[in-house]
Amino acid sequence: MNSPILFNLKKYLPAALLAFLLVACERDLEELKPAAFPTNPEVFIDGFSAGLNYAVFGGASPSAFDVDNQVTWNNSSASMRFDVPNAGDPSGAYAGGVFFTSTARDLSGYNALTFYAKASQSATIGLIGFGNDMGPSTYQVSISDLQLSTGWKKFIIPLPDPSRLTAERGMFIYSAGPVDGKGFTFWVDELKFEQLGTIAHPHFTILNGQEQVETSFTGVSKTIGGLSGIYNLPSGVNQTISLSPAYFQFLSSDPSIATVDASGKVLIAGGPGNAVITAKVGEVTADGSFTVQSQGVYQHAPTSSQDADKVISIFSDAYANIPVNYYNGYWAPYQTTLSADFDVNGDHVLNYTDFNFVGIEFSSPTVDATSMTHLHVDLFIPNALAATGQIRLELVDLVANVTGTSTRSITPAQTQQWLSLDIPLASFSGLSKRTNLGQLIFVDVNNNISGFYADNIYFYNASTAPAAPTTQAPVPTHPAANVISVYSDAYSSITGTDMNPNWGQATAVSVVQVQGNNTLKYAGLNYQGIQLGSSQNVSAMAYLHLDYWSATSTSLKVFLISPGPVETAYTLQVPTTGWRSLDIPLSSFAPVNMSDVIQLKFEGNGDIFLDNIYFRKN
Amino acid sequence: MCKMKTLTRYAGKAFPCMLLLAVMVFFVSCEKDDFQKLEKRNWQLTWSDDFEGPAGQLPASANWVFDIGTGDGGWGNAELQSYTNAPANVSLDGQGNLVLTAIQEGNRFTSARIKTQGLFAQKYGRFEARIKTPYGPGLWPAFWMLGESVTTTGWPQCGEIDIMELKGQEPHIIHGTIHGPGYSGGNPITKSYALINDRFDAGFHLYAVEWDQDKIDFFVDDYLYQRIKRDEVPGEWVYDQPFFILLNVAVGGNYVGFPTAQTPFPQKMTIDYVKVYQEVN
Repeated sequence: MNSPILFNLKKYLPAALLAFLLVACERDLEELKPAAFPTNPEVFIDGFSAGLNYAVFGGASPSAFDVDNQVTWNNSSASMRFDVPNAGDPSGAYAGGVFFTSTARDLSGYNALTFYAKASQSATIGLIGFGNDMGPSTYQVSISDLQLSTGWKKFIIPLPDPSRLTAERGMFIYSAGPVDGKGFTFWVDELKFEQLGTIAHPHFTILNGQEQVETSFTGVSKTIGGLSGIYNLPSGVNQTISLSPAYFQFLSSDPSIATVDASGKVLIAGGPGNAVITAKVGEVTADGSFTVQSQGVYQHAPTSSQDADKVISIFSDAYANIPVNYYNGYWAPYQTTLSADFDVNGDHVLNYTDFNFVGIEFSSPTVDATSMTHLHVDLFIPNALAATGQIRLELVDLVANVTGTSTRSITPAQTQQWLSLDIPLASFSGLSKRTNLGQLIFVDVNNNISGFYADNIYFYNASTAPAAPTTQAPVPTHPAANVISVYSDAYSSITGTDMNPNWGQATAVSVVQVQGNNTLKYAGLNYQGIQLGSSQNVSAMAYLHLDYWSATSTSLKVFLISPGPVETAYTLQVPTTGWRSLDIPLSSFAPVNMSDVIQLKFEGNGDIFLDNIYFRKN
Repeated sequence: MCKMKTLTRYAGKAFPCMLLLAVMVFFVSCEKDDFQKLEKRNWQLTWSDDFEGPAGQLPASANWVFDIGTGDGGWGNAELQSYTNAPANVSLDGQGNLVLTAIQEGNRFTSARIKTQGLFAQKYGRFEARIKTPYGPGLWPAFWMLGESVTTTGWPQCGEIDIMELKGQEPHIIHGTIHGPGYSGGNPITKSYALINDRFDAGFHLYAVEWDQDKIDFFVDDYLYQRIKRDEVPGEWVYDQPFFILLNVAVGGNYVGFPTAQTPFPQKMTIDYVKVYQEVN
């Protein structure tokens, strides 16, 4: 295109050159600066400023925006009009879009985007801001929930650290939805950039101003969030802004421990050691910090090898965990133990610090661990021990109100490595019931373990033993003449005996076939009676014999009962490996009247198989 | 722009360059007299407090006493704060400043008001303070003076000179005011001074009055924005007695209105120094 200016210059160039030489001194090339982007501060005054474009967000009403020549601020000739649709409007669910320029602008001389706005009713604009250019959108600032009224009012979006804004294309972004389902109209006018001396006292936060401390390990990364800014407006009230990480300069006090990039992503580079991550916006230091306590390379706990269907898991990445109320009860006033749990690339670890005692609760619902055989816990003591420590594990049955304890010693040589504990539940001293387990408690017995990591906490059933006997009980050999039999295939038993009298028991009684032999089964024993068909005089007998089998019981007693009732128990050892045959001297049951025995009773827990119950002579 | 080196290399072109240079110098020198032309006066320092001392220390008891509590009906103005002499509300900051702090505790406010009553008062002279004001709706800082006779003749007969007052919702405007018999309370003699594209809490500014038997002049940063002459006062001129100095931060009250939920607290008034001069001939 032949510009008229260019044409004239060609004609008058010699004269112009002469004039230039007469008036000007020699040009110094050092004074030349690279061509900068235009600094035009106007976005919309009475129309689109040069190079301004508009694009609608997907899902937004495409006709929401228009230029209005009637309703304007200060009788100017045009304003921007936005029609927010009603809820359910087929053209779009909300009004939202971006005003951006084709050529970038140098906005480093302005510290605010300002405009006048009003609405057809009192309304809230969900989002209004600067910096979205439909592309990289590096330096975004936005205000949420801007309150508009029906009168024109000036609004200010402060721009932090304008020195960064040398090539910006995203001028203005808005998003507004219906209020109580109803659409409305709002207008924006005199939209421009300004350098305001009337906004003051900028404050910024990372992590919402919190001082966060985290234990971490080499290779773990975390992005700093909670970024915000507050400026004081000319009216003396504060305005909170959201701003993108690019405005912040992030700093690490020790890059050999942790580095942080321009987007606020922290990467743990080494350890052990600490690094503090802070940030500045321009010259203003942001409130908040992130202290990394790196332990160096993380040693993962050993992999768990139990079958998932034999496991009830409280805390493990290898199994589905049951619902847990809390991993630290913070039991005031005596508990000092704090939690600083961490996650190393998906491996979650419990980390207890300032340890004296701490409880994990799983009571909604409680755990029935009757068919479990062991508790597994992986422990790691990260700090050195001056002397042997002891950690006591306590399991609490919340319904039976009993606590079982198991103590493990840890020598100084056993710190800084994973210790895998597989503790038989039967060895928890005092745990007479485990049908409603609800708490696992750790206690620092010698007051010298300052903290520990825990992982892979679960109950499991290690028994490879069958749930029922596969061979029949040993066939009795005593001569029938010397026997009064209660239950056996080898003898004629007392007639009319009720093997399952209703005494309100929970026990389920059945007869099962084991190698063709009738065998009595008590499932889920609490107590169970045998009502003899008639009173028996066993005073001439010497022993009560019985064969019993149990893989799961931890408590079993047998009683003989004479009228009164007078009953005496005899404790049977459980669990058994295979069938156990026992001859119990009748003198053990004193003072039961041996000439008038009417009932037997079993008390305990678990599943019991019984056979060959009989009285015999010597 | 011409450079000296070009003059030596291109002697033939020196003349146009020098003409340009001379023209520019002439215009530059015109700028200096744009500021006010005020008569020079000779001031001798008679009293001052530079607020030097360690952080947390109360201001010197040789210079200041404290007003405590809520006064009579919020000090006559329905002010909301209760004044204290606790360091949290009034103390040095260890950097050569005195800080008065208004603190919000739930629905209640504490702050401080100090004065030289009984310790220092002066008739006529220049009274100045370098101050960074607080901000926010409902904040009302003041640097002011009362006639000594307040204890005998009462107010407004004793006279009041407000060297600087500010309403926190307009942090860019200060007001200079006098109250006297016939022109007090809601209709004193007052004038405002506003900063363009700036605000008083963004930095320190110098607030002063120069007062003699004929007039009281009000200054911000050595700019005279108000002159009240003796014969222009619509009532009695009561400024021929010693006045003492007061500094305070009030919260709420008839002058400024209520603080709102959006008023940022705590708020600080930072005073670098107070200086008093007498004119010498």
